[in-house]
Amino acid sequence: MKPEDRIKGLISTSDVVTGPETDSRILGDALEHLGELRQKKTPSAPPEPNIWRIIMKSRITKLAAAAVVMIACVIGLSLWRTTGSGIALADVLARIEKVNAYRYQWFRTGEDPNKPYSFLRRATALSSQEYGTKTTMEELDPNGGWSTFQEGYRSPDNKTAIVIWPKQKKYRRIEFDDGTAERMWEVSSNDPRTFLKRILACKYESMGRATIDGIEVEGFQTTDPNFFYFYIGDRQIGDVNQIDVKVWVDAKTRLPVRYDYMGDKRNRTHFVMQDFQWDVPVDAADFEPVIPDDYTGTVVKLPDVTEETAIQGLKLLVELLGKYPENIFDESATFLRLVEKSETPAAMRLTEEIKGLTDEQINKKLADFLMPIRALGRFYGLLQWDKKDPAYYGKTVTPKDTDKVLLQWKVSDSEYRVIYGDLHAETVTPEKLAELEATLPK
Amino acid sequence: MEDKLLVLRCKRGSKDALGRIYEKYKKDLLVLAMALLNDASAAEDVVHDVFLAFAQAVEKFRLTGSLKGFLLTCVANRARNASKAKHRQDVSLDSAEAVDSRSDDPPCSIICNEQLGQLSRAMAQLPYEQREVVMLHFQAGMTFKTIAKSLDVSVNTAKSRYRYGLDKLRLLLDHEVEE
Repeated sequence: MKPEDRIKGLISTSDVVTGPETDSRILGDALEHLGELRQKKTPSAPPEPNIWRIIMKSRITKLAAAAVVMIACVIGLSLWRTTGSGIALADVLARIEKVNAYRYQWFRTGEDPNKPYSFLRRATALSSQEYGTKTTMEELDPNGGWSTFQEGYRSPDNKTAIVIWPKQKKYRRIEFDDGTAERMWEVSSNDPRTFLKRILACKYESMGRATIDGIEVEGFQTTDPNFFYFYIGDRQIGDVNQIDVKVWVDAKTRLPVRYDYMGDKRNRTHFVMQDFQWDVPVDAADFEPVIPDDYTGTVVKLPDVTEETAIQGLKLLVELLGKYPENIFDESATFLRLVEKSETPAAMRLTEEIKGLTDEQINKKLADFLMPIRALGRFYGLLQWDKKDPAYYGKTVTPKDTDKVLLQWKVSDSEYRVIYGDLHAETVTPEKLAELEATLPK
Repeated sequence: MEDKLLVLRCKRGSKDALGRIYEKYKKDLLVLAMALLNDASAAEDVVHDVFLAFAQAVEKFRLTGSLKGFLLTCVANRARNASKAKHRQDVSLDSAEAVDSRSDDPPCSIICNEQLGQLSRAMAQLPYEQREVVMLHFQAGMTFKTIAKSLDVSVNTAKSRYRYGLDKLRLLLDHEVEE
């Protein structure tokens, strides 16, 4: 062999493997800089407070929350590490899928390093292949003890969800379209099956044997940021690359004993599923929501999410705002803020109609009206979930722009779908798309 | 064409696009940096600096050739500076009889395969100028004319550095096998 070929061969077979931490160290500063660049280019509205978090400003409550988690960890998990393997995770998943019904507990605690609050919630879930899932969720009360936060019911086909808030005497029934139901289920993190499927889709490794509550288990771990991909779309890449996900499997039954998820600095969530009871007897009545007569409720029926409904959403936005919004969203609050500032006839009419109404009345009134806009937001979200690489240029493109890309996404390696400013759509080649994107104003 | 789109999106501040560029080329960049520096931590630093500089200048960046070639050249340039700096540091540490300062370095988690270990060990025996030409020619696929231009030397100098480097590498690799 010629020396050149030999060295060429050595170079071409040379390889490096980097873990998420290394990737973060190498790319973190560059991503941060790019984030600043984007902020400079696109001033965005301040983030909405997350309704899933309960603000606990008291230091004592924060300490109590931390203490509960620590105690739960210490009592629940005592382990020694040995070598040895033999359990295949795919086999574990197959076993879970054969179980007719199971019960388990989970708790979640979270903290935002930028804000002075944290939360602690725990839940009991009962899941049946035949009847669906019921979850009773409690939260730590700042005044002491636990109080029921919500009850959730999901149908076996995942197309219907009912959530009841006993304290507020309210409930909501949500009907999903087929595509959303399927994807929502895929990304659900509160179920041992979907959680395991996502671990299986990542790079993971065995941690060897241990004991949990006297049960011999084998642990598996992943730190692959792809575990979290679906939650973040493309907007947060680099921000959740320090996750730590573990599952502990009973060495005898080959069924999960405990799941453990720890988020990174930005998303400091600790989530644990444990106390599994497999193959428990269930009754249909266990899964039927009981809604007292004095509770008020709303029904949300999500429309089919298609290109056509997305275009309808864009049309409605222009009618109300007189232009395209800078970002695509699916929250009513963001939309209403924009409408209040708008002076188009349609916006002024709508503002007049909802003046003096309570939030609940406004939600009811707008439920159908806002549907195309919500569908647009979800359409974009699904493109992200499906890794179709969408991009939206509402900040610079106007409804009069017949040749400027407003929204585009990947159909295949050789085709992109484009919706232009005047809302006509066509499929183009990557070369054509690059030309179109190059003409967009900065 | 995909690279042009990715660069365009980076110009608009897309973190995803930068992440994709990194994923696409990190192996090539790290292998080059490792082969030139034979130091995983320094290789990581060089690739870090290249991406940071790219992000800082992306607004004004125009992609005229291959993105991979551009990034590899950036790595080679920064590795050259890192190599010079390391040489200066080594000299100063030797003279002061200082203790090994690398004990405080952050943990490095680049894992190199056997071939890369063999390559970077052998490369480390070559003068830096020869390493650079060999790697840019073989890995980046650059012509001697382009290499000469980027290193600001004549084409003949680039070719002779390549020839000497190759001869020495052959001897070193033969020797490694015999051992």
